Amino acid sequence: MKETMFIDPQRCIGCRSCVAACRECSTHKGYSMIFVDNIDRRESTATMPTVCMHCVEPTCALVCPADAIKVSEDGVVMSALKPRCLDCRNCVNACPFGVPKYNTEMHLQMKCDMCFDRTSEGLKPMCASVCPTGAISFGSYEQIVPLRRTKPVNAHTFGEQSVETNVYLMLPTDAENVEVDGCGVFEGRIAVDEESDGQESWMDELAGETNKSNEF
Amino acid sequence: MNYRLSTLFGLGASAILTVLILVGSRNLQNFDSALFGYTVASVIAFGALIFRYALWLQRPATRTYWKRGWQIYLKREKFVQNTGIAAKTFAGNILAQSFILKRGFKRWLMHFLIMWGCIISAMITFPLVFGWVHFELEGDIGYRAYLFGFPLQLMQGRSITAWLTFHALDITAIMVLVGCGIAIHRRLHDRGAIALQQFLLDFVPHLMLIAISVSGLMLTASSLWFDGYMYHFIALTHQATVIMTLFYLPFGKLFHIVQRPASLGVELYRKRSPEMQQAECPRCRTEFSAQIWVDDLNKVIEKLGFDYTLPDGTKLQDHCPQCKRIMRGISYANLPDVNEPVFLGVRAEESKEEVQTKDNV
Ligand code: HEM
Ligand code: HEM
Ligand code: SF4
Ligand code: SF4
Repeated sequence: MKETMFIDPQRCIGCRSCVAACRECSTHKGYSMIFVDNIDRRESTATMPTVCMHCVEPTCALVCPADAIKVSEDGVVMSALKPRCLDCRNCVNACPFGVPKYNTEMHLQMKCDMCFDRTSEGLKPMCASVCPTGAISFGSYEQIVPLRRTKPVNAHTFGEQSVETNVYLMLPTDAENVEVDGCGVFEGRIAVDEESDGQESWMDELAGETNKSNEF
Repeated sequence: MNYRLSTLFGLGASAILTVLILVGSRNLQNFDSALFGYTVASVIAFGALIFRYALWLQRPATRTYWKRGWQIYLKREKFVQNTGIAAKTFAGNILAQSFILKRGFKRWLMHFLIMWGCIISAMITFPLVFGWVHFELEGDIGYRAYLFGFPLQLMQGRSITAWLTFHALDITAIMVLVGCGIAIHRRLHDRGAIALQQFLLDFVPHLMLIAISVSGLMLTASSLWFDGYMYHFIALTHQATVIMTLFYLPFGKLFHIVQRPASLGVELYRKRSPEMQQAECPRCRTEFSAQIWVDDLNKVIEKLGFDYTLPDGTKLQDHCPQCKRIMRGISYANLPDVNEPVFLGVRAEESKEEVQTKDNV
């Protein structure tokens, strides 16, 4: 994959332009496949944009009973093949990044396919073309490095499992990967309130976020 | 992958079909030897299809669903109710395909025409080819059909039933042609489809179905209006295109015809899930699926060689999709040392002191 996505959550201001732009993509018209989650609404305005990371060894494709998720020649992990997908939701719950979405009525999974209709014609993905802060960028590794103080890294560790991806995350220069090893507490937290457990704000609904189980 | 087992299944299927052809045609007594080519191709293609199906069932995820689906279906107390659910799903999803309607009307119409055109054609042609059904002229009155050698009702030669019976294939051929026309039109105009499609996977099936239908219609035209002009040649063309399609079935896009009924099991599992003990996301406490479903998925993931065990003993996949994203977001947010210049969005050239003063402001 010569050109790919570079995600820099630190730059994300939570404007959700990408969420709106994603709906315009021709391969999943009308449905947004990108996520912008507040990581701890009461303590911080920090948001985390999530696109498909296009894993080198995609868990989603391997757990699919229908063998419906195919990988393109240069590593783009595609949405489920429409005649095959049984809407079993294995991929939705197996993906370590929480990316694929499903729809019960259409019996169908859909996910971010890096705007295959655009990138295959040399255009940027929808989200990257509208992001005002460069939190989502598209280009080659060589292009991005001189532009940023942060470092592109494509490794995650989830507990015991390391996952290599085709999409990069921009990390502080001394970090080698992102380790997810539990529910986590945001260190920027000021007060820990035991009573309310992660209530959602009315703003989440306004922003049109999906439900927790990723139905679209 | 256990190829040997799948091969055995495939060979067994071919053998069973051969026996059925021998028995159903009363020891080839009702068998039309001109259709020998079709018969051999069908027997081989059927074996290949079962071979492919058996291979497919060996995928860890497919196996798990397959077993669990049957297990849930065969539960004695729920058997009748389950059969009801399965019958309803069959009518809605397989016969009417309302879920494709939800994906789009044109898509549904396209598929409905292709699918029913093909299924009805197959239901007519295979029994005729295998000698399971044959017609005999009875005087001037009409024809009598025989099923497995047993006589059925007499059909008036000039009745509507007879006309429909003898022109059914022409009607289905037109259905298939219209359906394929819609599909190809869509594929040439829809940006999303254009980006994703591949000639071999997405156009070849339609082109083969069109070739079958056109050659079939030409047969009718030849015998009705042109005194059988080139009939033999057209019949050979029809045979060649049918055989090619039969051999394509197990490997290409059309494999979904045999694979798709598995959605009955998946759907039943979904419908029964709410009664089962629910899995709760350890982080946000939302119930997002049945516990045995999550356990099954974790077993499949483990079998595939992944280990997503977290330090607290839970699996990553015990968490709901949204919490997985947030957990990663938190890990990311906690990465930088807050005193690092880069975290504060300050150019590295600026001195540490400057950073410190900014921090105090
Ligand atoms: C003889 C039977 C069948 C034939 C010949 C057939 C043929 C096809 C063809 C050619 C396509 C590709 C259409 C395209 O260009 O996008 C297709 C798509 C599809 N088929 Fe079938 N099919 C048959 C039976 C079934 C059955 C029984 C089901 C399941 C209930 C099914 C479900 C689907 C689905 C979901 C799609 C994708 C439609 C979409 O693009 O949204 N098919 N079929
Ligand atoms: C899409 C599916 C198909 C369509 C639309 C179709 C259509 C037709 C049509 C319109 C005819 C002419 C009937 C007549 O002249 O009265 C015909 C003849 C025939 N078809 Fe098909 N057909 C299909 C599939 C098949 C299959 C799967 C087989 C074999 C297993 C088959 C075997 C035959 C045979 C044996 C004939 C008689 C032609 C001859 O004299 O050799 N067809 N078909
Ligand atoms: S991030 Fe998830 S959806 Fe994307 S390739 Fe990896 S496992 Fe699949
Ligand atoms: S929901 Fe569809 S694509 Fe996802 S694993 Fe199930 S069958 Fe495969």
